[in-house]
Amino acid sequence: MAASFLSYLPASQMSHEKKSTLLTLMILTIAAILSFLIRLFSVLRFESVIHEFDPYFNYRTTRFLVDNGYYDFHNWFDDRAWYPLGRIIGGTIYPGLMITSTILYNLLHSLNITIDIRNVCVFLAPLFSSLTSIVTYHLTKELWSTGAGLVAASLIAIVPGYISRSVAGSYDNEGIAIFCMLLTYTLWIKAVKRGSVAWATACAVAYFYMVSSWGGYVFLINLIPMHVFALIVTGRFNVKVYVSYCTVYCLGTVMSMQIPFVGFQPIQSSEHMAAFGVFGLCQIVGFYQYAASKLSKEELNLLSRFVISATVVVSLVVAMALQLSGKIAPWTGRFYSLLDPSYAKNNIPIIASVSEHQPTAWSSFYFDLQLLVFMFPVGLYHCFANLTTENIFIILYGVTSIYFAGVMVRLMLVLAPVMCILASIGLNKTMTSFMKNLESTNKETPQPKKRADNSYSVKNEVAMAVVAMITLFLTTYVFHCTWVTSEAYSSPSIVLAARGGSDGSRMIFDDFREAYYWMRQNTEEDAKIMSWWDYGYQITAMANRTILVDNNTWNNTHISRVGQAMSSTEDKAYEIMQELDVDYVLVIFGGMVGYSSDDINKFLWMVRIGGSTDRGTHIHEKDYYTPSGEFRVDREGSPTLLNCLMYKLCYYKFGNVYTDANKPMGYDRVRNVEIGNKDFELDVLEEAYTTQHWLVRIYKVKPMSNRGI
Amino acid sequence: PHLKLKKPSWVKQPSSMTMFAMVLLSYFLVTGGIIYDVIVEPPSIGSTTDEKGNSKPVAFMPYRVNGQYIMEGLASSFLFSLGGLGFIILDRTNVPVMPKLNRVLFFCVGFAAIIISFFMCRVFMRMKLPGYLQA
Repeated sequence: MAASFLSYLPASQMSHEKKSTLLTLMILTIAAILSFLIRLFSVLRFESVIHEFDPYFNYRTTRFLVDNGYYDFHNWFDDRAWYPLGRIIGGTIYPGLMITSTILYNLLHSLNITIDIRNVCVFLAPLFSSLTSIVTYHLTKELWSTGAGLVAASLIAIVPGYISRSVAGSYDNEGIAIFCMLLTYTLWIKAVKRGSVAWATACAVAYFYMVSSWGGYVFLINLIPMHVFALIVTGRFNVKVYVSYCTVYCLGTVMSMQIPFVGFQPIQSSEHMAAFGVFGLCQIVGFYQYAASKLSKEELNLLSRFVISATVVVSLVVAMALQLSGKIAPWTGRFYSLLDPSYAKNNIPIIASVSEHQPTAWSSFYFDLQLLVFMFPVGLYHCFANLTTENIFIILYGVTSIYFAGVMVRLMLVLAPVMCILASIGLNKTMTSFMKNLESTNKETPQPKKRADNSYSVKNEVAMAVVAMITLFLTTYVFHCTWVTSEAYSSPSIVLAARGGSDGSRMIFDDFREAYYWMRQNTEEDAKIMSWWDYGYQITAMANRTILVDNNTWNNTHISRVGQAMSSTEDKAYEIMQELDVDYVLVIFGGMVGYSSDDINKFLWMVRIGGSTDRGTHIHEKDYYTPSGEFRVDREGSPTLLNCLMYKLCYYKFGNVYTDANKPMGYDRVRNVEIGNKDFELDVLEEAYTTQHWLVRIYKVKPMSNRGI
Repeated sequence: PHLKLKKPSWVKQPSSMTMFAMVLLSYFLVTGGIIYDVIVEPPSIGSTTDEKGNSKPVAFMPYRVNGQYIMEGLASSFLFSLGGLGFIILDRTNVPVMPKLNRVLFFCVGFAAIIISFFMCRVFMRMKLPGYLQA
């Protein structure tokens, strides 16, 4: 009956090839649409708004580019951030994201589809995730087979590890960087398999796009040489690899140096030296293989010994000279902490304080990847069992990214695509080998001759059980991914929501935007705002005022000065504020509503960073703890803490409010204690604005008194 | 110069399966959060005090997706590797000629490994995040 129904559909009249093309196209289209739709939770629940902190900077620069054109953007010196230092934006960003948005915006406007730039920015990441799905299909098709490609495209459409940095509204570099990275890898594999200069040039152009979009391009420029080195070591080096690598390295490096931020780093910094070393090694091995085909054995031995020893001596001398004379810079802090994870914790507190830079626990792996953590070793096993030139690449990518994801939670993003690819290889191999065992129910095809193995009698049942189990696992994967995206990764951070009030209805806390717009409309044009660096980008983008420090964190001393001001008493802080021309101070306080990412919880980092430079040596972290070593804000708290500027600004007049009917006045709902120092007045500041739920508090700095008393 | 350098005879290229075993071992260690353990130095098992003042052990650090105790990390990564090995064992059952007992054993071990590890991990996650898959 089913067969007669199917015969009415046009599909059954087509040839096998057409059916498979139709199926491929349908699956890819569904995966692309799905990856776009699953990222829209926060747009549907709140509105189309830019999330978090870093995207606000990207949004501001994109607006500037759209309004002023490329030349002004390239030469932009921003005097409204890092007062009094300013920031050379044109030379210190990766422009790929902004340029992509602007091109898209101009294209749409030229067709008279006038979408606002904010909406282009919000929806850019989901759009590129659809493209990533399609590129993953191509990459896996090159590595293994079409079936695995389709599975990989479907897996990567909804994997939470990638969704976390590419939801609608998360307008950040990683949204397009993953697409560029996978595109570069696809073109590299195509080039290595075919050995053609055309594909290698395309790979170099994709690499240029990758360099323009994210600082993580360093991973690519080390992985591709590592792949070539592995091929040399396992004896698979041939002309095709030689042609591909030389083209990619030369063209890619020259093109990458066109980005102002990258500049001359590819030939000067240690992070790029591996690529250069492998380039040299390539030449030697290529020459050796060429000579081996032309010369006789003894001549070859003599020549090779001479050349190798000469090269080794010369390169050692040159490398030592360059290192000692300081021309080759050592590994920078952020990348060095990947090799030695304890480096950041001991030496650079700013890198250590960012929560995304913490090492990864097992639950992050399971939370972000679920089924894929089980299938990853399976895919690796199948790649090891059938070693080819391409499989070695994906093995290296998998092993290195597992290690890096273990060091830093943020790099789970780089792990997610390779997990999808290897898991799809594992799933595909398992499914195809067991599907073959399923007895065919279609009586038209002749039965294959019986295998002379009568010990395998339950073949059909076992195969059905395996297929059913894998289908069940994939279904639970879908439910897991949707739940995780909906609950954990769809919060805009600039608008908070909670269930509360007498009827349990949803309450929205829009305090941040309320405060920034108050500042935009009620302060002077050239007012300078002091706040902790987390909020810098949002203040410049929404309030349009000058700030002292922002999320770029390029100047540790300046941030440390702000940290000293926040940790000192009012009069000491006043000196610092006069030195830096501060007009307003902004703090975030969550004690009224129970928002736990407020400045009091971040305060210890301010103390650590403030005490880490030489003008802050009078600040010691242990002064802010009780004698028993606890961080408390109630009566038992340390007097240094109870009198410092941050404490006073957060808890000013808080001692007169009730947060809960059963608790005393001044009960902090985040620390769950009644505050210690309630009744105080501010000498040098006055309260300018506090938002509806006391989340953002703005204070105006009083000018120095006229008579100098 | 005439250098008589010879590679020592016991140094030879490891087979691909040896490499795979090493990679699997490193996968076990990394997904167990060994780097987290070295940097943050959590205790091996957590403890709370209940109403009477006795201290009870706590296996899973609750409510935080990116925090763990050492034991829970290693137990979970053991389950991850076990699940992977289960699929590999299952793949080995498709070899054409094999004694019946071996084939049955492979099936049982493979299925058991996969099912146990998958569902145990779900249970672990629910213990860690009480609202997992429910909100």
